[in-house]
Amino acid sequence: MNESLRSLRDFFVSLKLTVALLVFGMLLIFAATLDQVNLGIWAVQEKYFRSFIVYGRFGEFAVPMFPGGYVIGGLLLINLVAAHIYRFAFTWRKLGIQLAHMGLILLLLGELFTGLLQEDFQMRIGRGETVNYAESFRDNELVLIDVTDPEFDEVVAIPTGLLEKGKPIQHPKLPFRVVPKLYYPNSILQMRPQDGPPSPATAGIGPQLMAAPQPITYRENERNVPTAFVELVGSGGSLGTYLVSTGLIRAQPFEHAGRQWKIALRVRRLYQPFSLTLNELRHDVYPGTEIPKNFSSRVQLKTADGREDREVLIFMNNPLRFGGQTFYQYQMDRSSGFTVLQVVRNPSWLVPYIACTLMTLGLLVQFGFHLIAFVGRRRAPAAAAPVSIPAAR
Amino acid sequence: MRIPFDRLILLALPLALGACGDQQIAAYRIPKEKEPELAPAAAHAHGNSGTTPPAAGENAAPGMGSGMAGTAVATASGPGLTWVAPAHWQSKAGSAMRKGSYAIPGDGGVMADLAITAFPGDVGGEVANVNRWRGQIQLPPLPEAAVAAAVTRLEHNGLRMGVVDLVSTGANPTRVLGAWIPHEGSTWFVKLTGPDGLVAKEKPAFLEFLQTIKPAAQP
Repeated sequence: MNESLRSLRDFFVSLKLTVALLVFGMLLIFAATLDQVNLGIWAVQEKYFRSFIVYGRFGEFAVPMFPGGYVIGGLLLINLVAAHIYRFAFTWRKLGIQLAHMGLILLLLGELFTGLLQEDFQMRIGRGETVNYAESFRDNELVLIDVTDPEFDEVVAIPTGLLEKGKPIQHPKLPFRVVPKLYYPNSILQMRPQDGPPSPATAGIGPQLMAAPQPITYRENERNVPTAFVELVGSGGSLGTYLVSTGLIRAQPFEHAGRQWKIALRVRRLYQPFSLTLNELRHDVYPGTEIPKNFSSRVQLKTADGREDREVLIFMNNPLRFGGQTFYQYQMDRSSGFTVLQVVRNPSWLVPYIACTLMTLGLLVQFGFHLIAFVGRRRAPAAAAPVSIPAAR
Repeated sequence: MRIPFDRLILLALPLALGACGDQQIAAYRIPKEKEPELAPAAAHAHGNSGTTPPAAGENAAPGMGSGMAGTAVATASGPGLTWVAPAHWQSKAGSAMRKGSYAIPGDGGVMADLAITAFPGDVGGEVANVNRWRGQIQLPPLPEAAVAAAVTRLEHNGLRMGVVDLVSTGANPTRVLGAWIPHEGSTWFVKLTGPDGLVAKEKPAFLEFLQTIKPAAQP
C-alpha cells in the first residue's frame, strides 16, 4: 500500500482520533450551551451543530474558530466505519457488536440527513379559509410577482441571503435587474417626519417611511423584521428604489413594459400541490377548569388533481402525514378563529427508529450470548464436581 | 511539523462545504391570490375602554390610512396594554399604526388628538424620540442632558413611564404631551397633540389616563 494511503488509513482507524473527537464534541456542546443564553436554541443548533465550521466575528470579519458538528460527527462516522472494517472480522459471536455498531452508524447518518434535509414550516389557517402554502419559521424572501394574467401570478422568489450579499441579481424570468442597496436583518419602520433625512427609496411606499436597523433577535417568541432597499434596473435605466420589508403587509405595485408587477419582502413560502381548508377548531378544557384537554383542527384536504378530497382531524400526537410531510397541531387561537399547523418535511424520519431498533437488537444478542455462555459455565462445573463427604471423626 | 498534503485537503474540505447554502432563486406560477385583509385598528370596538389585540405577528398589524397606498406597517408584537380613557375623549377611527386613537374636543371647535402606538425595540432611545417630537412642533433638538432634565418619571401598574411636555413657539403654539412606556421588548407611545390651551387643560386627565394603563394580562 502506498505510504500516504497507509498514513491516511491509520489516521482514520486510530482510537486516538475517536478520543480527540469525543473531547471536541464535549467542548462544542459546552460552548454551545453557554452561547444558548445569547443566541437561543435555534441559532445555537445552526451555528454549532448544523455547521462545518463555527465562526467567530471580529468586527466585519468571520474567522473560523472551531470544527462544527458536521465535521466532528462526520469524522466520528468515518472513524467508526473505518475501524469497523479494519478491525472487526465478522463472526457469529460478534453479531451483537456488529449490529450495535451498525445502529450507531445509522444514528449518526440519520442526524446528518435530518440536519441536511429536514425543513420546518408553519401553516396558519383561519376558520373557513383555504391555504395552499406553508411559511418558514425564520427565512424570508424577496418576491417579484407578474400579476398581469387574470388567472395566474408568475412569482420569482429571491432568498434574502442574496440581498445580503449586495450583488446585482438577474433572472431569466425578470425583465429587469434587482440591485440590492441596503439590507437590515432586523429593523423597525416608522413614518418619516417631514424634516427627516432623505430616504434611499424613490418609489412605492418607501419615501414615506423610515427604517431603523435593530439588533437581530434570537428569542423564540420574537421575529426579525428584515428591511431592504432594492433598485430595479431595466434596459432603459432605473425603475426606482423600493423599500421592502416583512413589516409591510401588502406588496407594492408597479408597471414595467406594459405588464403589472408587485414587489414584496415576505416570509419564505412553500407552495403545496394541495390545499387545506379549516372546517372546525376545538380547544377543549377539563370541565370546571381552564386546563387544556385537547386541541384539534378539522381540515378539508384537497389536491389540485381532484384525487384527494377528504376531511382530516389533526390533534395532539395525531398528525396528518401527506405528500412526504407531517402536519402537527402547533398553535391555536380560538377567539380569533385560526389554527397553526407545524409542517415538517424530513425524508429521513424513519432512520433513528431503525437505528435504535438495530442497537437494541445488537445489545440483546450480545448480552444474550454472554448470558448463555455464563449459564453454561455455571452448569458445567456443578455437574462435574465430585460429591465430597467429610470424614467422620 | 510537516502536515501531509492529503490531510490539509481533508481539513480544508469543511471550509469549502461550509460555504454552500440554500440560496436558490425560485420561479413558479400560482393561481391568483387574494390580498391580505388589513385588521381594523384596535380599541374602537370597545368604546372608551381600550384593549389592544393579541399580537400575532404581521397579520395583527393595524391597517394604514388611505395616504399609505393600502400598505400596512407592522407594529410591536408581544403582550399588549389596556387602558380606560376619560368619558369625554371620543374614540375615533384609527389611522396608520395606531393601537388607540381619541379626539378631544375643546372650546370653540378646537380639537386635540391622542395617539397610542407601539413599536419593537426602543425606537432609537429616549433622546431621539423626544427630539423627534420636538422636531414635529418646530423646536430645535436638545442635548442628552437637557432631555433627561425635561423628562418626568412615573411608575403605574408596574410600568415605568417617561413623560415630556413640549410647547412650540409662535402666535398659536402647539403643545405635545408625550409618554413612552417600555413593555415586553417594545415601546408604547401615548402622545397628546393640540392647541396649547386645550392640551394644558387636558393635562390632569392625561396624567390620570396614564395611571389606567396596565399590561393586558393584569386583572
